[in-house]
Amino acid sequence: MFKSLKSLASQDPVLAEQARIRFKKQLSYQLMIWPSIIFLIIFSYIPIAGLVIAFQDYSLSTSYFNNPWAGLKHFKAFLNDSTFWMSFRNTIELSLLRMFLVFPMPILLALIINEIPYIKYKKIVQTCSYFPHFIAYVVVAALWKDVLGNRGLVNNFLISTGLISEPIKFWTDPAKFKILATLVDMWKGVGWNAIIYFAAISGINSELYEAARIDGAGRLQQIRYITLPGIMNTVIIMFILSIGGLVSGNLNISVLLGNSFTKSQSYIIEYYTLDMGLGTMRYSFATAVGMFQSLISFLLVVFANHVSNKYNEVGLF
Amino acid sequence: MTKIPNKDKATKIRLTPEDHLVNGFSTFFAFIVFLLTVYPIYYCTIYAFSDGKSALAHQIYFWPVDITLDNFKAVLEDDLLVNSFLISVARTTLSVLTSVSFTALTAYALTRKQLAGRKIYSMIAMFTMYFGGGMIPTYLWFRSLRLINTFAVYIIPSLLNVYHMLLFMAFFRDIPDSLIESAYLDGASEIKILVRIVIPLSTPILATISLFTGVNAWNDWYTSAYFVNDQRLMTMSTILMRLVSAADAAQKAMEMASLTGADVKVSGPTPASIQYATMLISILPVMCVYPFVQKYFVKGVMVGAIKA
Repeated sequence: MFKSLKSLASQDPVLAEQARIRFKKQLSYQLMIWPSIIFLIIFSYIPIAGLVIAFQDYSLSTSYFNNPWAGLKHFKAFLNDSTFWMSFRNTIELSLLRMFLVFPMPILLALIINEIPYIKYKKIVQTCSYFPHFIAYVVVAALWKDVLGNRGLVNNFLISTGLISEPIKFWTDPAKFKILATLVDMWKGVGWNAIIYFAAISGINSELYEAARIDGAGRLQQIRYITLPGIMNTVIIMFILSIGGLVSGNLNISVLLGNSFTKSQSYIIEYYTLDMGLGTMRYSFATAVGMFQSLISFLLVVFANHVSNKYNEVGLF
Repeated sequence: MTKIPNKDKATKIRLTPEDHLVNGFSTFFAFIVFLLTVYPIYYCTIYAFSDGKSALAHQIYFWPVDITLDNFKAVLEDDLLVNSFLISVARTTLSVLTSVSFTALTAYALTRKQLAGRKIYSMIAMFTMYFGGGMIPTYLWFRSLRLINTFAVYIIPSLLNVYHMLLFMAFFRDIPDSLIESAYLDGASEIKILVRIVIPLSTPILATISLFTGVNAWNDWYTSAYFVNDQRLMTMSTILMRLVSAADAAQKAMEMASLTGADVKVSGPTPASIQYATMLISILPVMCVYPFVQKYFVKGVMVGAIKA
């Protein structure tokens, strides 16, 4: 490098100066990026390599790579475990609730808030609706567990009005768990998830509304024929992307809202993995479970991304 | 000044019944959303300031009963809670300082077109968003790195956040290249360019990512619960989580006692009221920062959402 610089310098000092600057710049950029690459190798890629223990009999005395091989033993073991299938079913059911019950809510919220004629009021509601996203899940869970507790706010209110005589068992009734946990999750996220739709709505050309009004379209017609089609692309892409999360559960819901009464409904794959791994120290077994889940998730995400890219290129309408 | 009411009247006259319906419905619906969002937080606040026993005896709805600071006193007397609060403060401050600067620097380098190999570097980073080793290999690896049960486990593994990096990159791409180039020709060093040009231009995204990082660090319970055994190293969220399950049991015992009349004291904090006070303390820092940062993050997230 220096030799070529020197020979360049003897030929053309301006060129040499430029080359020197380029080299210095390149060096400083590379110095900025390398710590991050090393970081990613240590904290992301080595754990990926650690997945090999799913095919071994790992014991704490050894490291990742020198354990006796076990083949697919652990995969066969968990696939024959009914507790695994319970967690699998719960994970999928909670995801389906998320995709079909929670998903439309931010869209609805954005559409309705967009129609508010008072700008200041609109702003306040919008800002408040984001706030629960920033509250710790622990706090949100504790709050709703108490508010909906057997002697909590809601039950006390209903009893005092005489609507019910016995408190409703919200959190100890397995039949109610999934829907309640989904609603709590929605409470926390609906405003925040609406941001992307607010963005999409604000991107719609206002001349379209102008023209529609002149043509005599009412407000509802404007929503139906301008706003909705205007955000449809975003909606469809968000929905396709949500497919990627089908086999991923929300550990917050399971651990913080679930309890021994509702375990049959709240136990998800992540919880099962933690119990098997950190609880009973069956590290290889738990890694096999986690790997199975990550692989399905990865394939789903790749599929979803592919479909959404295709959709972006072609468009359905 | 006199013209504005006239203008208002003019637009009002043009409102059709449908307009009134839509306006009325959206305003009403938004009010319901507002109530559903704000009331639970308000309830938490009034309960935290109420006398525990009185709140247990008579359900409160709108106003605290027998206003008192005893619940907060009880929190402050709990050595473990105070300790976890300090750990949370230390962790959040350090996390924001280290993670934001590390992530921003990475994003900045990745947006420089001159960086050789930036496609590959980006791919290395992006891949980790889709696939990871999962909980158990990560735990075992942290164990061999001797990160388990140390304060460092809060800071080091979260130095780089790839999602935040993408948000930074979306922002940095909009900084005109010519600005940086001309500074270069004036002989400014890379550090100088960063400090004098890039950082001052990036206040909105820096504020946004600082908020996100801070909130993540403050709210995280998982790291403490699974990577830390020492109670004196646990963060507030995790201690609160344990408090909740303990409070559940204690509260039930107390309710039984109050029903059977075995409990003679008529005032004083209850497990529930102490829990509400702790929750309020946990929400408070976010509440304080939120109004100042919220005008930035909506924009930051929108930009990221549109470009990603």
